[in-house]
Amino acid sequence: MALYSVLIVDDEEEFRNMTAKRLSKRDLECACAPDGDTALDMINERSYDVVLLDVKMPGRDGIDTLRELKRIAPMTEVIMLTGHASVESGINGIKYGAFDYLMKPMDLDPLFDKLNAAHERKRTQQEKIERAQSDEDAARSS
Amino acid sequence: MPLLDRILTLLRRLRLPGATVPLLNSEPAHRLLVAHSRSFRDLLVAFACARKAMAELEAAWEDGRPLSMSFIRARCTQVTVNVFKVIRHQGQIADRRDSELERAFSRLRQRIEAILEGERQPVAGEMLLDLAQINRTLTSLTGEKMASLAEAGAITNIRIPPGFVLTAAATDLFFQRNQLYRKINHILQQTEVDELSDLYSKSASIQELIQTAPMAPELETLLLDRFDRLTGAGPACRVAVRSSAIGEEFDRSFFTGLYHTELDVGRDRLIDACKTVLASKYTPQAISYRLAKGLLHERCAMGIGVLAMVEAAVSGICHTCSIDGPGDTLDLFYAPGMAKGIVESTRSVGHLRLSRLPPHRIVRRQEAEDATRPWLTDVEAIALAEAGMRLEHHFGAPREIEWSIDRTGSLFVLQSRPAAVPRASVAPSPPVVAGQPLLHGGVTGCDGAGYGEVFVVRTMQEALHCPRRAVLVVRHPLPSLAPLLHRAVALVAETGNQACHLAAQAREFGLPCLMAMERATELLAAGTPVTVDATGRAVYQGRVEPLLRPTVDRPDPMAGSPVQRTLASALALISPLTLLDPCPADFRTVHCQTLHDIMRLCHGQAVRRMFEFSLRSGQGKAAKRLRSTLPGQWWAIDLDEAPGDDDHRPDIELTDIASPLPHALWGGMQHVSGQKPAFSRRQTAAAALIRAGVRRGFDLIRAPFSREKNYFLISQKYCNLSIQLDRQPVMVEAMFDDQRGAGSITFRAAGSPRQTWRLELLAQLLDHFGYRINRVGGALFAWMDQESDVELFDRLKTLGYLAIRIRGLDAERADAGGLWLCRDKIICEIKEMLHHD
Repeated sequence: MALYSVLIVDDEEEFRNMTAKRLSKRDLECACAPDGDTALDMINERSYDVVLLDVKMPGRDGIDTLRELKRIAPMTEVIMLTGHASVESGINGIKYGAFDYLMKPMDLDPLFDKLNAAHERKRTQQEKIERAQSDEDAARSS
Repeated sequence: MPLLDRILTLLRRLRLPGATVPLLNSEPAHRLLVAHSRSFRDLLVAFACARKAMAELEAAWEDGRPLSMSFIRARCTQVTVNVFKVIRHQGQIADRRDSELERAFSRLRQRIEAILEGERQPVAGEMLLDLAQINRTLTSLTGEKMASLAEAGAITNIRIPPGFVLTAAATDLFFQRNQLYRKINHILQQTEVDELSDLYSKSASIQELIQTAPMAPELETLLLDRFDRLTGAGPACRVAVRSSAIGEEFDRSFFTGLYHTELDVGRDRLIDACKTVLASKYTPQAISYRLAKGLLHERCAMGIGVLAMVEAAVSGICHTCSIDGPGDTLDLFYAPGMAKGIVESTRSVGHLRLSRLPPHRIVRRQEAEDATRPWLTDVEAIALAEAGMRLEHHFGAPREIEWSIDRTGSLFVLQSRPAAVPRASVAPSPPVVAGQPLLHGGVTGCDGAGYGEVFVVRTMQEALHCPRRAVLVVRHPLPSLAPLLHRAVALVAETGNQACHLAAQAREFGLPCLMAMERATELLAAGTPVTVDATGRAVYQGRVEPLLRPTVDRPDPMAGSPVQRTLASALALISPLTLLDPCPADFRTVHCQTLHDIMRLCHGQAVRRMFEFSLRSGQGKAAKRLRSTLPGQWWAIDLDEAPGDDDHRPDIELTDIASPLPHALWGGMQHVSGQKPAFSRRQTAAAALIRAGVRRGFDLIRAPFSREKNYFLISQKYCNLSIQLDRQPVMVEAMFDDQRGAGSITFRAAGSPRQTWRLELLAQLLDHFGYRINRVGGALFAWMDQESDVELFDRLKTLGYLAIRIRGLDAERADAGGLWLCRDKIICEIKEMLHHD
């Protein structure tokens, strides 16, 4: 059984496929999208725990995708991964709610650690919300 | 005074030092503590990431290694983004945004971005220029090579082929319109330049990108029209398409043989040939050359020369100042046909040495082995020498001239550029070496000596596996082997001469180099450790120490380069820590001058806030009392376990704490009690420690501390201990990255003016144990980054020992009659403690 789900959004097919293959070997459930619009369609269809999002893509870019993604799936953690290191996009990424902003090339181990940390964050946030919800329900019923 | 200010003042007065801090309502406060703990951990992670990237930049600056702009851009981005995260997490912990701090960060960030982006302006000017229109004032548009050639053509009796130049304005436009700089930077950022296979594969991707990019139709038309006029529109006419590099660093970078030349190009291939030459800006040798020289590819523009082909009978290179002969001679290297094989050393070459002064007497003639008759007559040689000296006189410095003599006997200058690096001055008499060399002979391409294991390269596939610090042994010194020069300690080639491109590059980088060493690839077995004596033209087995003593000053190719200047400018805004004095008056946003300062300020404020909040929100859950033989109360606030702590024990053993950091620190602290005399005779250790936390002093430990209590903030990878010892506020902080097996330690102490001797002693001791020290006023700040966990824990233990040990020195100083005796004594004690462990 997969540990959690990851959506890899990158316009470079080789990178997408290679990353998905490697992460699958570590028991992650991986799906791929070649651009921001496709990624958003996929997120509308089902939820993903973590999204690995390229910054520079043709069409809707990574920052724009991030903003929309956080609007429709605020609990999903997003890691920006870019081959165009830019202070501006890095700051914007964090500002709009990315878990982290990383630079290619990235070895698999640190990437895997970062994904795990993002997933852990998502899990605790989810638990927090569920606990608050049940507290609220309990208060209401009493 | 406004009412609100008066109320606030009153409230502050009510919070007397040492007064009990009221606990907050437990459950909501505990939830907040959980959230703050998480923010604090995130802050620490961001802090560590920023510090790691910063350390990589600092290390690159200190060791002067070749580094790319991609490296600097990526690390600077990493630092800046993580400092931004630190600010945000600090804001969450403080429950408010610090707009002043955000503005300070924003100002620094904009300046860093401006440095990283550079001030590259598009090249403006004519797209095409005839050689007849060009002189050296147009170098920035046409490139040095073509500007010099055009100017040479204007000199009496110097003839150049007719031609024109596609200027840098045109090639820059081609790059801009196709967004090539952005795409290339994208590929370069992901290139592991040290991995040769990656370098070659990414170089191929970039070249393909350029070759497949469309040229603007109007530019194509312009080129073809000009071609038609140049050649008289004859279908058989052919041109040579040559690169002409432009760079602000041209005075110290020669780009010898880096770029491609396309020969025998007809009208149908002209556009593709121009793109091929442009793409050669990104050959592996060109990428690694710029990397080694600290040059920016965006600023190394290129013009392209299109010259009518010369039907060469004989061609060659003229160095108007001999490469390795007497200073009053010049060299001619020549071979039938075109000069390409000479500079690539794929064919045998004749060599003539002539006097520089008229009548240019021939002082040495060495014909190629396969020459059945002299390829160059005396009359032709003298005519070449005259032309060469005329060019040198015109340009005012020695020249390297490529020439051809056509079948009618007319001499054409094809290229004239400043002579590259001459052979370095060598010790007059090379050291005598006992023993027979493995090989002897050849010609010296670059003086010096190098030691390493032989690595034979016969194919490019083998070249990809070239290890670092190898003695590179090749058959032909082909320009494509240039990327290997930066990882070799010496080069030995079976063919070649001093004029070939690889020898010129070896001289530029100061790599000992021997050419024309026959059968070197057969006689030097792979893996054999050898010493190459390029000056003495011999190769010896094993390490010959006397030869390896430096007799030649090696150039530092990175010194003053654009990349190094960019790094220096960015580091100045990132790295220095000017916010050293932990005095609250100075520990403010207004004094933040660098990103490091901002990190430090945020971190300090977050730690303080966490201490305050942990205590107020219920010690029972977050804080545990440590059972200890040390006097006083010692409490641990576990940042990791705070969210779901099920352990309701009021006190714990140190062994219950999983983090290794407090263990090391605590171990050092406890070790003091075994020392005699550890504490003053007038005061017991217990009395001293009981006083800790009572006195008002350092801000971090002032108000929130209950009497007689000292607190550790602990997470798996972090430990902070803030205490007061004998009125001295002391703070020890350690971070550990278990993935890297590395970490950092920071130590701060403030002292009263009466006790400067104590800080002086501490500084000396910490310096002895490898800490970096900074003293500002009455404060001492020490820090270190450790690449080994064992060393990190040893240093932390040392610090724990010192933090306690130093306090008992009042009486000891008097007893011993001198402070410095104590220093040596404490060093011995610590060494013994570490040795004992």
